[in-house]
Amino acid sequence: MNEFLEQFVIECREQVEQATADLLALEKSPLNIERLDSAFRAFHSLKGGAGIVDFDAMAEAVHGAEDGLSYARKGTVAISTTLIGDCLACLDQVIQWVDEIARCGDLPKDASKEAAAIVARFSRGDGMGPGADPRPEVEQPVGWVATILAKHPDAAREAQCALRYTPSADCFFSQEDPLARIARLPGLLTIDVSPVHPWPQLCDLDPFQCNLVLVVLSSASETEIHKALADILDRCHIEALEATVRRPASSLSLDARSLLEAQLTLLESTDGDDFAGKVASAGAVAANVFLAQCDNGLAISIEKATAQSLAEGQTAPIARAIEAILFEEAAKPGAPLPFGTEHETTARALRIDARRVDSLVDLTTELTVAKNAIGHVVALAQNGDEGLEQLLKQRFAVLDRLIGELQQGVLALRVLPLRHVFQRFPRLLREIAAGLDKSVNLVTEGSETEADKAIVEMLFEPLLHVVRNAIDHGIEDKAARLALGKPAVATLGLRGYREGENVVVEITDDGQGINVERVRQVAIDRGVVTAEALAAMSEAQVTTLIFEPGFSTAQSVTGLSGRGVGMDVVRTKVVRMGGTVGIESRPGAGTAVRFTLPFSVMLTRIMVVSAAGQKFGIPLDAVVETLRVGPDAIARVGAAQAIVLRNQTVPVIDLREALNLHEGDRRRDAILVVANVDGVSSALRVDVIGERFDAMLKPLEGLLSGTPGLAGSTLLGDGSVLLILDLTELCR
Amino acid sequence: MSDKRMRVMVVDDAALVRLFYRETLRKAGFIVDEALNGLEALEKVLSEAPDLLIVDVNMPQMDGITFIKTLRRQKPPVAGIPVLIASTEAGPQDFAAAREAGANSYLVKPIEPDRLLAFAAMMCGVAP
Repeated sequence: MNEFLEQFVIECREQVEQATADLLALEKSPLNIERLDSAFRAFHSLKGGAGIVDFDAMAEAVHGAEDGLSYARKGTVAISTTLIGDCLACLDQVIQWVDEIARCGDLPKDASKEAAAIVARFSRGDGMGPGADPRPEVEQPVGWVATILAKHPDAAREAQCALRYTPSADCFFSQEDPLARIARLPGLLTIDVSPVHPWPQLCDLDPFQCNLVLVVLSSASETEIHKALADILDRCHIEALEATVRRPASSLSLDARSLLEAQLTLLESTDGDDFAGKVASAGAVAANVFLAQCDNGLAISIEKATAQSLAEGQTAPIARAIEAILFEEAAKPGAPLPFGTEHETTARALRIDARRVDSLVDLTTELTVAKNAIGHVVALAQNGDEGLEQLLKQRFAVLDRLIGELQQGVLALRVLPLRHVFQRFPRLLREIAAGLDKSVNLVTEGSETEADKAIVEMLFEPLLHVVRNAIDHGIEDKAARLALGKPAVATLGLRGYREGENVVVEITDDGQGINVERVRQVAIDRGVVTAEALAAMSEAQVTTLIFEPGFSTAQSVTGLSGRGVGMDVVRTKVVRMGGTVGIESRPGAGTAVRFTLPFSVMLTRIMVVSAAGQKFGIPLDAVVETLRVGPDAIARVGAAQAIVLRNQTVPVIDLREALNLHEGDRRRDAILVVANVDGVSSALRVDVIGERFDAMLKPLEGLLSGTPGLAGSTLLGDGSVLLILDLTELCR
Repeated sequence: MSDKRMRVMVVDDAALVRLFYRETLRKAGFIVDEALNGLEALEKVLSEAPDLLIVDVNMPQMDGITFIKTLRRQKPPVAGIPVLIASTEAGPQDFAAAREAGANSYLVKPIEPDRLLAFAAMMCGVAP
């Protein structure tokens, strides 16, 4: 999928979300003009976007809804549930199309039929057909210019004019040869030829009809082009290109690059009284590099950063400025360089494609490996050349710092507000509640609370499950609520907040709460617990039984929940995110389900151990101590082994046996890694204990995913894969 | 060469090397000053600051590294004059020493004229 489509898909989703929120708000308060305007703008942008990427059917459908809303704005039609419903249906269709576009890059074949159905919804009955709208047509978007510039970045640099020539279908009969004509154009840089209408089957093709659009970039001026095409100007769009459009950043030469890099290393060596001299000279050289390339803007921003560094006594501003340019250039030649004052404003909303962020995360992992590799070389160099060792140590320190910063940045990139998941619920609630003939009002709170992107994305499913359960089982039907003296419209709360390092998400309802007696009964009936265990449980403990596998309190199987999957699924999902689930219930007053989730994906410190010549990683946070004991210290207890450690018997798990590895001899003394898993100590017998390092654990993928005893993988300094053991599993 | 002519000071004890710099840089439009060692260079720099210093490492009286260290501890603007080190030594410890002293770049002798001009132009901020 090309960049335009990617951007289009992202924007569509945003506009649809915006429009949905606006429409739902409008339904509640039809006089809210701001919401109406906002919804109208969202539809308008959707239509514009669809026009730019030539999805006519989508543009048509959205245009229908936009018309409907425009009559409402003029006051010629009232805002009705029907109108809102029609608009929502249009958005549903748009999202389906967008999904399709994201998948295969084009609208489905029958899109125009569906579009017609949508348009029909808006033109029925109200006597306001599309023709009655006197609104002038919006200006034709000129997305084709952007397209061709993006397609030919080299030519774009020199181009002064973009031309779009659509020859008339019968031009061949008027002695016009479009291609030859364009080929003679002054300053011709590129020609892109595409069909006006999709090419028909060969048997249906009329070779005497011209079905071409020619898009051209030329280095000649607009006047020259005008002169050359004087007789066919009516069929041409000519756009003079502004210098700013054309100007992709001058790419740096190798020498310039190495000079800039040398300034960065110079800046790292400053200490004490040579600070001013080093910063000033490095700043001067960096600025001069850009002056030499006639890039005064960058030179000025470097000079500013130099002044700031000198004033603050910190190398950071100038080092950042140089780094930013080097990085920008490397990352995206041709991108305009975001430098200057507006760059310094804080907290700017960024829109980032999820995949790019994911690849950054992968890159970070690789960088971490590179760092470890250098650390390895430092160890090797210790015996060798002293200068080499010194240099490597410095590089290592630099890498270490850079990677630290990069990782912080990446983690920050991955932070999303809970709004992203919360905002899907108003719409869903409307549907779920309507399906059950219940009225529910949703109250969200703390939707700006942030959490790791992975967490926010994974949250939807368990959240939806709990919400469905609450509406289906928790909230009584209208009659029952009125009989109990409760308001007919129930309230469902979605609340997010930070609690230390955790993010808490609460789902509350004011329904009937959980019937503890019934839970007891069902738990016994389904064999979830034994009668003795149950008798010893408090009410709160009994309530949490609903999260046990095989438990489902649904008396009637409705279309929504109670499909044999209970709340245990919710717990599984939350635990997989590294979180916990809690529940509180007050009979007759309502239920609160609470997810406590980690804030971010963190680095794990890994210790390398080996058994029978194979290396494995152990998450260091579980390791309490390491020991070397004589062969007699380990006692056999039946089939198992144990040692006594400070008057406590600790089971010994032999890694060779646990993993079924039996190669090579082992030393007589046993090396033990004592680990604490869920409050229980276990000793893992290994052959050798090796290095320790930080890594971002990647879950196993493909065939290996779900292998018991393995928590994930990372890479060793030499690039080989290191499997990380799941101690919970091994010590069970 | 743009309107303003850039002033380069070359610091080297070998006359032949100075000749090479002088001829190459003058043809390209630079004004070239010369000094035979670090001490002499320091005196000259303090009276008239050049836009760029090209400095040899091994020199009598005051070597290149000591010269740069001393230069960087002067008052601005003298402290901030860009310095290009030119040395026959190409070991990592030589680069590290030059950088720690405060050199902005490092060229290994023998230097090709084109490369010298490219670096001099970039470090002075003029189009090559």
